[in-house]
Amino acid sequence: MISWRRVKSILLEEYFISKRSLEIFFDIPFFAFTSLLLAGFIASFISSSIGIIGAQYLILGMILWECLRITQYSMSVSVLWEIWSRNLSNIFISPISIVEYFISLMISSILKITIMSTMLSLIAFFFFKFNILEVGLMNLILILFNLVFFGWSTGIIILGLIFRFSTRVQAIAWGIIFLFQPLTAALYPISILPSAIQKVAFLFPPTYVFEAAREALRTSNLNWEYISTAFILNIVYLIGALILFKYLFKSSKDMGQFARNEG
Amino acid sequence: MSDVILQVDGLIKNYKTFTAVNGISFKVPKGKVIGLLGPNGAGKTTTIQVLLGITLSNGGSISYFGKDFFKNREYCLQRINYTSSFNNLQGKITVLENLLVYSNLYSIKNSRKKIKELVEYFEISSLINQRYYDLSSGQRTRVNLIKALINDPMLILMDEPTASLDPDIADKLLSLIENLRKTKNTSILYTSHDMEEVTRICDEVIFLDKGKIIAQDSPLGLTKRISKAQVRLTFDGENKILEKYFKKEKLKFKFQTKNIVTIDTKEEKVPKLIFSLSKLGIWITDIEVKKPTLEDFFLQIARNIK
Repeated sequence: MISWRRVKSILLEEYFISKRSLEIFFDIPFFAFTSLLLAGFIASFISSSIGIIGAQYLILGMILWECLRITQYSMSVSVLWEIWSRNLSNIFISPISIVEYFISLMISSILKITIMSTMLSLIAFFFFKFNILEVGLMNLILILFNLVFFGWSTGIIILGLIFRFSTRVQAIAWGIIFLFQPLTAALYPISILPSAIQKVAFLFPPTYVFEAAREALRTSNLNWEYISTAFILNIVYLIGALILFKYLFKSSKDMGQFARNEG
Repeated sequence: MSDVILQVDGLIKNYKTFTAVNGISFKVPKGKVIGLLGPNGAGKTTTIQVLLGITLSNGGSISYFGKDFFKNREYCLQRINYTSSFNNLQGKITVLENLLVYSNLYSIKNSRKKIKELVEYFEISSLINQRYYDLSSGQRTRVNLIKALINDPMLILMDEPTASLDPDIADKLLSLIENLRKTKNTSILYTSHDMEEVTRICDEVIFLDKGKIIAQDSPLGLTKRISKAQVRLTFDGENKILEKYFKKEKLKFKFQTKNIVTIDTKEEKVPKLIFSLSKLGIWITDIEVKKPTLEDFFLQIARNIK
């Protein structure tokens, strides 16, 4: 049975670390704000020279992209704080289950993107006159829900890799997600990609979500086919991620790597 | 509830072709301190890791309070705790924040009151708002111990808790362990390389080597297994006479100075030795008999193994 006090304990630890961590400040708000500002200024240029819709795509894409990045970051990096502090064993010799640990990280990621998406949207509105609600509130919630789902899947896989291979693979906790930024056409229409790459892109749920978001911005209508395809793919990815995690987690404990993770 | 807190039967842990723990069985009774000793690589830490569920075993069974550990993980972990000099708490956050996190992890009622009591007992009230990273190793050890006691565990697994501590803090920790056993009947499974502290606090010692238990007894019982004693004599007389006698009796000896000699012999043969030397006209002015210690037992085992 899930213990919400144990879930709360990890959230509490996240909060305590976050409020003192310069690293988290740079990784989440600082990086997100500078990325949005960069996109916003490029959008301003595009808007005056090419057209307003391309500029809006760029700002919308950047806000949504940051939500995906922060979700994945939130799922993967927390465990590194435990490893760096040599606190991992202490956490996992307590009665907390891995399911409770996941739930904590998922709630934490939702809280982070709620705060960050609100702040980024406000910046976009006041600095670049872009109103994200033009996508439609319910549409936006469905779009974010699908992106968060994918962020959880990638985060869970990275978490498994960290448990199994320790800090040797820690760079992927920050880096690997950026592979999806060009590949899933986060900042531009999918038609920009070469047709061969488009086929690969459509293997990933965010591709459908970004396309649907741009369409919703343009027409105020949600492309249900894309959103439902993304949702189905997300379920497949999440199941796959959990199976892979289970294997990596067991393998880590079997090889003694889990206990050695703290050096 | 059972009087046996921890029961281990035929525990095996293999890493590919290497066997780290080879079918060990032992019990930790209620209120007892059991020492787990052995040379480096003997399998002590692996055993502790398996007992905590952070490393998977390849065979055997572990039960806490009469319940199978793997089937009742949450129940068992709620009632035990662990501390080690090799682990820390979360360094970025304060002592109080760390303890709040752990009191939630162990679902402690009135957690702030509990933390206050423990913090006062360990005399670290002034440190609770300091970051864990900023503490000295002695202060960290005390915070780690508070974490290990926060759930009033019935069993604490301690992996070299005094390593890197100065003698004063180490002594306080040992006093605390003695006090815990006396007042709360807490059981402790204790690993250390310091034979003196093991002799002081452990009711029973399990010697491991190459993953197997090679001896299991009380510290006194183990030292009794070594029959050798070292006698240090200060004498007045011809050391050539002594040398001749020792060689005749095939005794191992060494002259420290012209008038001081150390002899390795069996404890029960010491009176005969003194009597024989007196008969040879040697005037013995001082006798010191060094009895075997747990360290001697450890060294004997370690060297025999090599």
